[in-house]
Amino acid sequence: MKTDVAVIGGGPAGLAAAMEAKKHAKVTLIERNEELGGILQQCIHHGFGNFIFGEALTGPEYAEHFIEALEGVDVLLNTTVLEIDKNKRMLLSGPDGVFEMEAKAIILAMGCRERTRTQIFIPGTRPAGVYTAGTAQRLINIEGVMPGKHIVILGSGDVGLIMARRLTLEGAKVEGVYEIMPKPGGLTRNIVQCLHDFDIPLHLSHTVVEIVGKKRLEGVFVAKVDKNFKPIEETKRFVPCDTLILAVGLIPENELTKKTGIELDSVTAGPVVDEGMETSMEGIFACGNVVHVHDLVDDVSLSAIIAGREAAKHANGEKTERRKIKVKAGENVRYVVPQIINGRDMEEITFYFRVKNEMRNVVTRLIVDGEVRKEKRELIVKPPEMVRLKVKGELVKNANSISIEVKKVA
Amino acid sequence: MRVEKKVEKYAKRRGWKVKARTEDGILYLEGEVPSYKEYVEIGRYAGKQKNVEGVVNRLKYKGKKEEKRKEGRNEIIGEADVVIIGGGVTGCMIARELSKYKLDIILVEKAEDVACGATKANNAMVHTGIGEKMGTLKQKLCVEGHKMYEELSKQLDFPYEKNGMWIILTKDSFADMPIPSFLGNFIARFIIPRIILRRAKKLGIPMYIVKRKELLKEEPNVTSRALVAVYSPTYGVTSPYLFTIALAENAIDNGVKIMLETEVVDMITEGGEVKEVVTDKGRIKARYVINAAGIYADKVAEMAEAREYTIHPKKGSTLIFDKDYGNYIKHSMTILKFPRTEHYKGGGAMLTLERNIQLGPTLMEVEDREDTSVKAAEIEQIFSHFSLLLPDLPRKGVIAYFAGLRAATFTEDFIIRRAKKVRNFIHVAGIQSPGLAAAPAVAKMVVGLLKESGLEMVEKEDFNPYRKANVVIRELSIEERKKMVEKDARYGKIVCRCEGVTEGEIVDAIHGKIGATNIDAIKRRTRAGMGRCQGSFCLPHVAKIISRETGIPLEKIKKNGNGSNLFVGKAKCLLEEKNEN
Repeated sequence: MKTDVAVIGGGPAGLAAAMEAKKHAKVTLIERNEELGGILQQCIHHGFGNFIFGEALTGPEYAEHFIEALEGVDVLLNTTVLEIDKNKRMLLSGPDGVFEMEAKAIILAMGCRERTRTQIFIPGTRPAGVYTAGTAQRLINIEGVMPGKHIVILGSGDVGLIMARRLTLEGAKVEGVYEIMPKPGGLTRNIVQCLHDFDIPLHLSHTVVEIVGKKRLEGVFVAKVDKNFKPIEETKRFVPCDTLILAVGLIPENELTKKTGIELDSVTAGPVVDEGMETSMEGIFACGNVVHVHDLVDDVSLSAIIAGREAAKHANGEKTERRKIKVKAGENVRYVVPQIINGRDMEEITFYFRVKNEMRNVVTRLIVDGEVRKEKRELIVKPPEMVRLKVKGELVKNANSISIEVKKVA
Repeated sequence: MRVEKKVEKYAKRRGWKVKARTEDGILYLEGEVPSYKEYVEIGRYAGKQKNVEGVVNRLKYKGKKEEKRKEGRNEIIGEADVVIIGGGVTGCMIARELSKYKLDIILVEKAEDVACGATKANNAMVHTGIGEKMGTLKQKLCVEGHKMYEELSKQLDFPYEKNGMWIILTKDSFADMPIPSFLGNFIARFIIPRIILRRAKKLGIPMYIVKRKELLKEEPNVTSRALVAVYSPTYGVTSPYLFTIALAENAIDNGVKIMLETEVVDMITEGGEVKEVVTDKGRIKARYVINAAGIYADKVAEMAEAREYTIHPKKGSTLIFDKDYGNYIKHSMTILKFPRTEHYKGGGAMLTLERNIQLGPTLMEVEDREDTSVKAAEIEQIFSHFSLLLPDLPRKGVIAYFAGLRAATFTEDFIIRRAKKVRNFIHVAGIQSPGLAAAPAVAKMVVGLLKESGLEMVEKEDFNPYRKANVVIRELSIEERKKMVEKDARYGKIVCRCEGVTEGEIVDAIHGKIGATNIDAIKRRTRAGMGRCQGSFCLPHVAKIISRETGIPLEKIKKNGNGSNLFVGKAKCLLEEKNEN
């Protein structure tokens, strides 16, 4: 089988990438599940699409906008990409068989996965009733089963908050949301709408220190943590519950990327990409949460549109510059995407980055060849919230050194 | 001094009231000690005495739980020449061995599957016997059992590899001993390897010394403090649960009846013989009974009025690493550290067949026979101990941890013999490491004991030694994979992305000889859920497939046995409950 652009993953990133790429090339969209939409299909709450569509949609509605626009795209469902080689030949497995596919360009859009209780080293037993938030959400919203009755949630990121509300609406008792950091991880609007409105207590600087229960979860020990996030023994107490929901972070899913030999960024755990979302391997692009974990699906879609457009260009034989200028993460910046500027012809480039520490009254700055070329005021920047800096493409096209920094306003 | 007096004196000096009594080589302890710790301490002291064949520890202590036995059911549900109690690797190996003979055999297991106790929670090593105490029964059986694996794995189609093992001595090997470091290093480098080699020669185990430079060339991630290694090329690794399932399936093919979720609660004895085994499902008439009940072997022996030992569980916890670190080491390895902890090989970095590194196991006395929790302190202990071996193995590589309970007796060696006073009851107790490696030899020994006790054993002409495993799609060539998908499209659909398990394989497991109808049983048979996401993605899919194939409603699917329901009901069930109230 041959195609121009193969998109791996039919979630928000893959959908937008396919929608964009098909305007210019023949596109095949490969999805391992039985339907398109990825995580959006289980996100039945609203709040998606404020940026792109100017209205708050539910997850399935947001997905539908893109799915409707896929006409002409070959969609392979229930199909997994097992391998990619350097010549962009892929090995696929699905109900139609195990077969090879050759593409002129490939877009990686596999999304991310959830961290488990092991990855944060919660000790204890291994009973039924311990779920990651995404799994619990799928169980209720798609499979139609209720994971539990008395719930403890660890992690106050948006997924954890949304699940606190969802479980409450389904009649479960959420005993509390526990957060190891001294500040909540999710958006303020979610703290208000998901916890305050339902009188669900939020315990900051607390964590789960042991899982108890032989067959089904019987409860968890929780404790306050000190400045170094070490549990304080004297504050340890038992919270009876039959379900523990873990919303303790997401990791870009780059098994395939790694196997293919594409360069990964050790901070984002995703591939290093340039301003056109191309990875270190020519003709292989990446977008969405596979590159770095986003806060908003709108940003995922935007990155995918760039990837779709540039991948189609590549498939059509257009040559691009490869200047390979690294974007440096300067003062109070943990990472920046894109990590590389190659000097593509682009009208605009948005730098996405996360800060190391919370700061108020700051300017975010683009520095090119030692000069400040763009500045933007921000009232507050904090590690859980992604920061954007949109600049004109020509500002960096011929740069020899680029960095992004966050500075306090004097 | 007589053993009883010695033990009583030991207790008296510590202010504990203990009465000791010996009968037929069995030492019985009665009285009271302050806590479980002392209960274990004196039991171990008693177990070390010469000519003690078993220690029955009946000491009371504060907080000791009184046990309630489950109710038995009265109806007769079976009759057999041999009833085997326990479906771990030992029980299933015995069942398979006995199925070569013209005998009616019933194996009863209280859990919902075979291999659910210590079998599933050990580190899969098929030891050669070099790590065991010289002259022990367990060493003898380990050496013999290890040699039988190759043939068994061919007959029964379960995975087995001789991946080899490093025994490594480092500058830390004698660091805790009260001797100068130059002397410790000298002993570690020149004396210990030679002692090991001499033992290996005696046991017929091929081993050789590897110099530091060569070791570090071969294993660059091993600590640079390494001094020398002894390499054992024939050290094996298997999958303990796949092996046990293979044994059970082959036993079934040869006429053995396996009764799962059947718990032995009592025995009916008469004139020094067991007549019937009483279970929570009904009574089974038995001519001979084999006690392979693992962690509960002493309780089962008590039911037969043949209590000759007490089990004190020793927990072992293990960390499992992502297979991304599969090439971090080439072979399994252990570090020798002195002084040696009694009855503990020390664990190591052990590679599974799928090349997941396992760090551990630890060693910890626990009172509760179901306590398989992994404590924070154990996790830290594992990291700090094994950083002496692999200093840079990153914490973030861990994908899971688990614990198992070793069914240790106070005499520590295996107890495989006819009961002293019950004619038709055979103990196969105290089976801890190297119980997996020894299992084939243990089963042979049990055949001998049955013959000795008068059971007539005639070999079957139609015994079928072969059993075929289900297909493992990820291990096939592309051409073979294509053929499988043509045959059945479900072999194309990948359900567990981390381990590459297809829907077809899950369906095969559900409809296997011992059908897997819960998440963990599927996991053991197919690896679905064993990878880095630990089932976050595949759990809903696997549950749905089980439901579809078995007709069990989705909301009733379990993680493993009774009480492990994954869900409380259908969505909206709690709202309906509220409305009703």
